[in-house]
Amino acid sequence: MALLATDAIVLHAFDYLESSRILRLVTREGGVRSVLAKGARRSSRRFGGGLDLFAQGTAHLYTKPGRDLDTLAGFDIARSRPALGEDLGRFTGASAVAELTLRFGGEAADGGLFDAVSNAFDAIAVASAGSASTATLASAWRVVAELGFAPATDICGECHAPIAPDATTMFSHAAGGTLCQRCGRTAPAGRLLPPDARHTLRQLLYGDDSLTLDEPSARAHQRLLREFLAEHLSDGRPLKALELWEDRRW
Amino acid sequence: MSAIDDLTGELARLPGIGRKTALRLTYHLLKQPPEQSRRLAEALRTLSDKVHPCARCANLTEEELCSICRDPRRDAAIICVVEESADIGAIERAGEYRGQYHVLGGRLSPLDGISPEDLAIPQLLNRVDSGGVREVILATNPSLEGEATALYVQRQLMSHGVTVTRIARGLPVGGDLEYADGVTIAQALSARRAM
Repeated sequence: MALLATDAIVLHAFDYLESSRILRLVTREGGVRSVLAKGARRSSRRFGGGLDLFAQGTAHLYTKPGRDLDTLAGFDIARSRPALGEDLGRFTGASAVAELTLRFGGEAADGGLFDAVSNAFDAIAVASAGSASTATLASAWRVVAELGFAPATDICGECHAPIAPDATTMFSHAAGGTLCQRCGRTAPAGRLLPPDARHTLRQLLYGDDSLTLDEPSARAHQRLLREFLAEHLSDGRPLKALELWEDRRW
Repeated sequence: MSAIDDLTGELARLPGIGRKTALRLTYHLLKQPPEQSRRLAEALRTLSDKVHPCARCANLTEEELCSICRDPRRDAAIICVVEESADIGAIERAGEYRGQYHVLGGRLSPLDGISPEDLAIPQLLNRVDSGGVREVILATNPSLEGEATALYVQRQLMSHGVTVTRIARGLPVGGDLEYADGVTIAQALSARRAM
């Protein structure tokens, strides 16, 4: 078995047998991995407090080609993120980002995805209760972009013609983003996106973290994200954490 | 499907038991005298027929109320909220707590689709509203999910006129500071108390 030492973030954890835990990690050098942490529930000596949700550090994994489950030899924690559990908006938001990563991330090394997830959790952790929703939206779009599905916002998704910043455009999920006037006329379905909404989407994807959306805008952008995911990344199974975050049942 | 496949399939549905272990257990049972398998089947049937959640606290019991809720020596003014019935056993083994319990039946876990509606929170609020409760101790696990659950329950209890406390976190008794991890030390420091 090969030993892999890599940056890792805990995305999901559940108990296994009497004293072990199975973790799902996003790693810099091994993509999304499932690992067995033997004895993790009985003693914190080996893994410390590093195995809590959203904690980040260096994971030491024993891997074997063809196996679905690696063995966790150790986890040197670099930072925990208790702030994500201190507000339910932040908690459900971070869970939604973790779910997207787990569901659609692959096993290949992907430093960009790892950094996007790490930055996402940091941004959500420091977001106020009022801006956690916007921070989650931005984080989710950036993870989607790292997975290779960034929506087109400045050029037409069909013919790649540039789109004027002040134009109201058709946003076609099937075409992968905004459409120019000509392509928009022939698009079978889509949503009209006013210039300010398109500007907001661009900020969510590429801007800084200072943006805070009002309730109606946040709702509209949540809907846009949900529809986009359903078009491009859905495997038919419900995204439970994303639904809970969007429903705000707390 | 053969009887062997049938039992193997059922055993493999249990947590922590894979297909190989299930098959091994099945063959083990086949090697034993038939009475042993019948006793196991009878025990399973009795378990599912008799054991149910306590009508008051949702702890597992064979009566309408569990032994703790029926015990007149327990302090009904203090309720300790736990995630699962198994957590009650851990607290009882400490021998320090003399109040009653309330089992939530899990913890908030968006990734597992567990939302507030899936927990026994309305039943807890009803118990508090029915009067006589002075303090609610939130003893969910010291994990991020446990903290989020405690926070949610605390918010629900805010307007119900009851003191809400959270169990402490920090260094284990008999532990060595040198070997404690940074997260635990940080929590122990933030929860320090005056002497």
